[in-house]
Amino acid sequence: MKGILEKLQIKEFNIGACAGPDDWYEDPAGEEIVSYNPTTGEPIAKVIQATEKTYEQVLKQSVESFKNWRMIPAPKRGLIVRDLGEALREKKEPLGDLVTLEMGKIKAEGHGEVQEMIDICDFALGLSRQLYGLSMHSERPAHRMYEQWHPLGAVGVITAFNFPVAVWAWNAAIAAACGDTTVWKPSSDTPLTAVAVQHIANRVMADHGLKGIFSIAIGRGAVVGEHMINDPRLPLISFTGSTRMGRRVSEAVARRFGRTILELGGNNAVIVSGDADLDMAVRTILFGAVGTAGQRCTSTRRIIMHRSIASELSDRLVNAYKQVVIGDPLEEGTLMGPLVTKGAVEDMMAALEKAQEQGGEILCGGNRLPDRGERFVEPTIVKMPGQTEIVHIETFAPILYLIEYDDIEEGIRLHNEVPQGLSSAIFTTNLLTAETFLSHAGSDCGIANVNIGTSGAEIGGAFGGEKETGGGRESGSDAWKGYMRRQTNTINWSKELPLAQGIKFGD
Amino acid sequence: MGPKVTPDMPVEDLVRVFPEAVGFLTKKGIRCIRCGEPLWCTIGELLEEEAVPDPKNMLDELNEFLNP
Repeated sequence: MKGILEKLQIKEFNIGACAGPDDWYEDPAGEEIVSYNPTTGEPIAKVIQATEKTYEQVLKQSVESFKNWRMIPAPKRGLIVRDLGEALREKKEPLGDLVTLEMGKIKAEGHGEVQEMIDICDFALGLSRQLYGLSMHSERPAHRMYEQWHPLGAVGVITAFNFPVAVWAWNAAIAAACGDTTVWKPSSDTPLTAVAVQHIANRVMADHGLKGIFSIAIGRGAVVGEHMINDPRLPLISFTGSTRMGRRVSEAVARRFGRTILELGGNNAVIVSGDADLDMAVRTILFGAVGTAGQRCTSTRRIIMHRSIASELSDRLVNAYKQVVIGDPLEEGTLMGPLVTKGAVEDMMAALEKAQEQGGEILCGGNRLPDRGERFVEPTIVKMPGQTEIVHIETFAPILYLIEYDDIEEGIRLHNEVPQGLSSAIFTTNLLTAETFLSHAGSDCGIANVNIGTSGAEIGGAFGGEKETGGGRESGSDAWKGYMRRQTNTINWSKELPLAQGIKFGD
Repeated sequence: MGPKVTPDMPVEDLVRVFPEAVGFLTKKGIRCIRCGEPLWCTIGELLEEEAVPDPKNMLDELNEFLNP
């Protein structure tokens, strides 16, 4: 552990407010936060949280730096983001290990998360030459009309524990290419990965004589989070977290006419039709439901299975679940690590109790694993008599609910019945069924897949969902537009002053 | 007698200091953790938002559960 921390410049005590290589802000009034290893429950290191004073220092620098950063040509900004990607490549091994150490996802996933950071930096480099606006034909003679995209300002990025570094990169790399600066409030459960990333970003900023492009303000939601969402100097808040908190963020930011990108809860289902390839379905469902110990926004939480294959699929899933190796996520061969906190374990157990009260039958799992550690649980499959109240709720844990359907219309109805709308999938070998699922009358989610699972999105697509998932889009496609302001320009190159719609005024 | 939960305690502190409180409250329909993250409000504000009819009694029950 010591080696990982040293490679990433993590000390026993770390400062949680920073806006650049020589701009670490410390306030003696700042409270300590201890980061625990969820596998052992032992402390890893401490962070001095940002206070009102140090938050202000970070914000001021970020806003000031924006004035210079926005004037650097986008392709040149892209080259600096490329250097960030290179710096991340160099630190992929220790940073991936730290993600695993602090958050509890297995090593392959921790390293995959850093790869995602690198990928989005590559994407942002290309994007920096493609921030295209449209040109329109004016209805007025000798007039030219076009739109251009301008940088927006300092952007607030609030992320959750489950993707402690990738979600920051989705936002920060794109925002930087777009000419914005970012202030990041990471989860209080994963502050060390944020400090490590800040050190990496500082090195890149130092190489280019910059500061304030990438900043952190680590602290409680009730302190730093509330300051950010109510701060008019942050025209955009990108928030990843629960629907409940997203509502609070959305209301606060809307009150000051700011913008939000919300990536909130999911309650993702896989429909398995009667003609599905069950070998593929089982492997995919296992990864979707058990990967990251069921703590992904896109984790598979519901299986809506055709009655004709329900029995076979249930048996095969139970058998697959029994093969899952649970243990230290840093060890090779482990497929599932711990939950992030003891509270998360309590939340899972309470949900299982409710599921049973509502007629659910636990087919496998359902227990704590105290011998492995107080945050370890068994991945659990629950057969439900229908889509009861508890199934409508997202429990951030490895619980998989099984529900049966008779025809595809019923399957899609059940699928869309929940309030969340992030990710979805269908397993079928029937083209008509697949296209029905992808049609206007099909899945109501932001992500809809055929013969692949609900989790494991690529950075190239826009990531986000509908309904209570918040409607925001991050990462690829044209999600960059959320980080810029659009300006429509009309230029008159004639000696006349014609008005639109043919209006004559005082002629 | 251990520390007590008071209405002005942030939920972020509650779930760290008393993780067992999460299960107790969830069973009563009050969720402190969403998407694995604690809510930003105080426990008093949460009980008010959830329209708990007698928040004082709920906290007394919680404290009794935590410190029997």
